[in-house]
Amino acid sequence: MKPPSLDEMIGHVQKLPAMPAVAIEVLQSMAGADIDIGTLARHISQDQVITARVLRVANSPFYGLQSRIGSIHDAIVVVGLSAIRSLVLAASVMSGLPTGRCPGFSQKRFWRHVLGTAVAAQALASPLKRPPEVLFLAGLLHDIGRLAMMVLYPEHFTTVLAAAAAQDCRLEDAERSHFGFDHSEVSAALAQRWNFPADIIDALAWHHRPALGMPGGLAGIIHYADGIAHALDLDQNGESPSQMPSLDQDTVSALGLGWDSLNAVLAETRARFDSYETLLG
Amino acid sequence: MSENLTQPLGETLPGAVLAAPVTDSTGAVLLPAGLSLTAAHLESLQRRGIDMLIVCPPEDPEALARQHVKIRERVMYLFRHTADEPGSQALLHAVLAFRQASGK
Repeated sequence: MKPPSLDEMIGHVQKLPAMPAVAIEVLQSMAGADIDIGTLARHISQDQVITARVLRVANSPFYGLQSRIGSIHDAIVVVGLSAIRSLVLAASVMSGLPTGRCPGFSQKRFWRHVLGTAVAAQALASPLKRPPEVLFLAGLLHDIGRLAMMVLYPEHFTTVLAAAAAQDCRLEDAERSHFGFDHSEVSAALAQRWNFPADIIDALAWHHRPALGMPGGLAGIIHYADGIAHALDLDQNGESPSQMPSLDQDTVSALGLGWDSLNAVLAETRARFDSYETLLG
Repeated sequence: MSENLTQPLGETLPGAVLAAPVTDSTGAVLLPAGLSLTAAHLESLQRRGIDMLIVCPPEDPEALARQHVKIRERVMYLFRHTADEPGSQALLHAVLAFRQASGK
């Protein structure tokens, strides 16, 4: 069974659903488009699944609010536009993308890992003085190509999973051995199809090889956030054969995080994840 | 089994686990029982004028030591191919300390 080429894979990626309309509107508002908050809140509220999930997080202990929030409009006012936009994007990506069946691939673990990476990237934003929303989104989408590979080519992906388990190697290494490319290239192609900003596409493309990303880009931060999510076992409860990615020393040094900053990032990541995981339904 | 402790906020350290929810004057829950308190939680409670907390008693030292060993084994398993790499050192040590302190 000959694996598809990258071009064939990307050709199939075009058949996957487009981003939900509400997510596109949120993205446009992130890009600085002049969108009325009331209108945005009304549009988000039309999706009951997304609204329910976002309100569950807004009412979680992480935000420690004194009274219960009952609407998206109130959530934007009380919790802030930035946080709510991130939550809406997460909820819409998670509910809008297709599911597939592939023995050995746990979609629940997949979503927990990408949400953990998004939260870790968001926690890194403050000490690194970078935009938290963009980092959250890049973290959320960094492995989206893997989901596409699994959905589009489940038989090939089963072979990849079996090889990774047998050789105790990283999944991306097994992907490269089997397909000749890995999920990061597919993630970038999907983000391009969804017209995401160039800095997010770059971060998705190079999160495993950050030295090749654009100078001063986000790939190095997503590279480290991915490591944090694995190291904190955010994808499950400490039983899986998960393993740490190799962290690029130059990238880690360039981030320049001291012991106190790193500890604060770990604590914030854990606390935020405990609240945000209710997004997973 | 040891009884829960009612103690001043100022004497509570990060890592303490709430034995009862923290509520405000209206009875609304600010933080749930079972939550492991962080420094940010403690600062937030101070700003809201909370002065007393009910926390779980400190764990049995032997149980704590067993938990630390289990967490160390898990973290070293995750870093089994990368523990010696220079880029991993800071995160390995920070994660080990954080997970042992938080019990997660």
